[in-house]
Amino acid sequence: MSDDPIREIAESAARAAALAAAMEPAAAARRLGEDGLLGVLAPEAVGGLGLPLAAAAAVVAATESALVPLPVGEAMLAARLLAGPAPEVASAIVAGEAIVAVATAGTLTLAGGTVTGTVGRAQAGLAARWLVAPATGGGAALLDLSAPGVAVEEEKGLDLERPPARVTATGAAAIALPADDAWAAFQADALLLRAAGALGAAEHCLGRAIDHLSNRRQFGKALVGFQGLRFELARQKLVLEGARAALGHALSVAGQDPRAEGIARLVARSACGDAAPAIIEAAIQLHGGMGFTWDLGLHRQLRRARDAALALDPVAARAALAGRLEQAWAA
Amino acid sequence: MSAVLAGAAAPSIGAGAYRVADAEALRTRHRAWLAANLPACWRSDNPDYQGPSLDEGQAWEAELHRQGLWGVAWPKAYGGHGLTLREHLVANQEIGRLPMPESFNSIGKELAGPIILAIATEEQKKRYIPAILEMREIWCQGFSEPDSGSDLASLRTRAVKDGAAWRVTGQKIWTSGAHRAQRCLLLARTGTMESRHRGLSLFALKLDQPGVTVKPIKQMDGNAEFNEVFFDNALVEPEDALGEQEKGWAAAVRVLEVERGTNRMYRAWRLEEELKHLLTVCRSDPALARVINNPAYVQRIAQVQVDIEIHKRMVESVVDDLVAGASIGGRGSLIKQHWSEYHQRQAALSVEILDQASYPPSPAVARAQQRFRQVYLRARAETIYAGTTQIQLGIIADRILKLPREA
Repeated sequence: MSDDPIREIAESAARAAALAAAMEPAAAARRLGEDGLLGVLAPEAVGGLGLPLAAAAAVVAATESALVPLPVGEAMLAARLLAGPAPEVASAIVAGEAIVAVATAGTLTLAGGTVTGTVGRAQAGLAARWLVAPATGGGAALLDLSAPGVAVEEEKGLDLERPPARVTATGAAAIALPADDAWAAFQADALLLRAAGALGAAEHCLGRAIDHLSNRRQFGKALVGFQGLRFELARQKLVLEGARAALGHALSVAGQDPRAEGIARLVARSACGDAAPAIIEAAIQLHGGMGFTWDLGLHRQLRRARDAALALDPVAARAALAGRLEQAWAA
Repeated sequence: MSAVLAGAAAPSIGAGAYRVADAEALRTRHRAWLAANLPACWRSDNPDYQGPSLDEGQAWEAELHRQGLWGVAWPKAYGGHGLTLREHLVANQEIGRLPMPESFNSIGKELAGPIILAIATEEQKKRYIPAILEMREIWCQGFSEPDSGSDLASLRTRAVKDGAAWRVTGQKIWTSGAHRAQRCLLLARTGTMESRHRGLSLFALKLDQPGVTVKPIKQMDGNAEFNEVFFDNALVEPEDALGEQEKGWAAAVRVLEVERGTNRMYRAWRLEEELKHLLTVCRSDPALARVINNPAYVQRIAQVQVDIEIHKRMVESVVDDLVAGASIGGRGSLIKQHWSEYHQRQAALSVEILDQASYPPSPAVARAQQRFRQVYLRARAETIYAGTTQIQLGIIADRILKLPREA
């Protein structure tokens, strides 16, 4: 596919994200759903566009920059995953009529169509109708959070606007999702979309730092005229572009690597997991005292990007890469 | 064109008709030819390493050209192979994958050649370009001066008209390879000092003449690859003035912008080969095998591979964009800054790891220690030449971020 559909999606996502950022989760989901943005990855059968992962990356870059209060990447991936096993749920997610959350901690025990156990770190879980959670056997379970036998409570986390939730299930009805390529791709692609969102937010924050330094005058001139600050901005751009190169490649080969066995994903996790929070931290620093205030708001992107970095786990990614250097050298 | 390349290059290769299968056929041929023909003693991972003499290097590089590994994207009319940067990338990837000697004429191939192709006359292209590819003329680059380093536009070496010819007086410095070069790509002032970069012109000066003195400078790594070059009324023949007077530099700057993103295109693959050499040697030594499995070293080694992967992706995307006819702007500065800094970390890490070898070291370990000591010292130059770190950060700030100048 050419760049143009992706650029079109990115522009549409930026417009919708600016509006959705100020809305409650349910309204925000409907807004993004109306523009088709939640169905970027899902097949046409459930109302989606069936585009490659790079298009979804453009969407999350916009929604994470603007601080949309939903796990948009996970919604796009869940709609793709559920299109086969639960097409009605997938259609509702694509339309923005139902919010889906994804638990990334803990495992549910599956037995005879029901699940039991505690899982957590499900972003926006309190606002969600559906939950996708890891299950025994290496696959996952889809459960209705409004069904009997399910309790949802808020967890403490860095991100205050899309707070994580803990879900306790006691013999709750669930649809089992097998431990197949589709589930492996869901998990691996979710990490790439976290990276894309965090890097998009980092680019946004770097832009805000440039704007600030261009407008703020001290010592009789605009701060951006000082070489020390120009070099600092150039350094951050260098880090951003390095991570972008790693991510762009991982996105472009993601479809050939459904079980996440290639090295491109590990490289992207390492590069983006380190780069995104560091760039936002630098942007805060470059705002001086104002950077530390609640109202300036760069902490909002930082909270999310630091959360994303924890999920990307650059240290684990590098440890895995070190074990696969022969594979890297053969490529 | 050589028989080998002619066989590999199906008619569909070339401008606009790129096919992955063709590139892979070309890669297979290059790989096989290099494996069969690179002398074992020239491999810098060989315990019996003995690099080529100048004569041997010239013959080898001329053969690399005949085999389609150099001059890949240069026009056939001047001895090139008439292919695209994609095939140039394939050749460079295969060159990078082997611990091969560096070119004796990289200035000719990667700096003078592209500038000549962009701004020289037809007659000049036919004279200079084949001589570069056939290694009959080695070039050096006469840009920096003692008082004009990063601030090149302040340079003072002056060229004045002498009939149709020019006479050059002044001094250049840090001129790599001048002691073995036949030609100097000389940037000299033909206008006033006040005209800064607009008063500069380019020449292809012959070094073998009475008005030129070359004095080697000993480098911090113990070698003497760079030089001072003194010009005392040195002659430039009328046919050796490059480009329009006082416009040559502006044209050359545009070429250099592309060159910064494309020169020594093999580098990412060569730095990967360095990492491969390091780890292969470490696995052969019980003490080093333990070191590279230490989690702290695992992280640092993997970070080098991450940086290499990013480097490869940056180079490939520049090739994609150039082949598609897009401009690369200041992106060469991002690439140069990225590799020059991670390679310094890589080199220091290599020395640090190899120092922990069992004693006495095996010949293979001793060879690697010697190679990476040299790499470590040489790498200190990499954030200085072709525009220092500070110059590159300035370019990123000015031309990529387009930060406003002080108001």
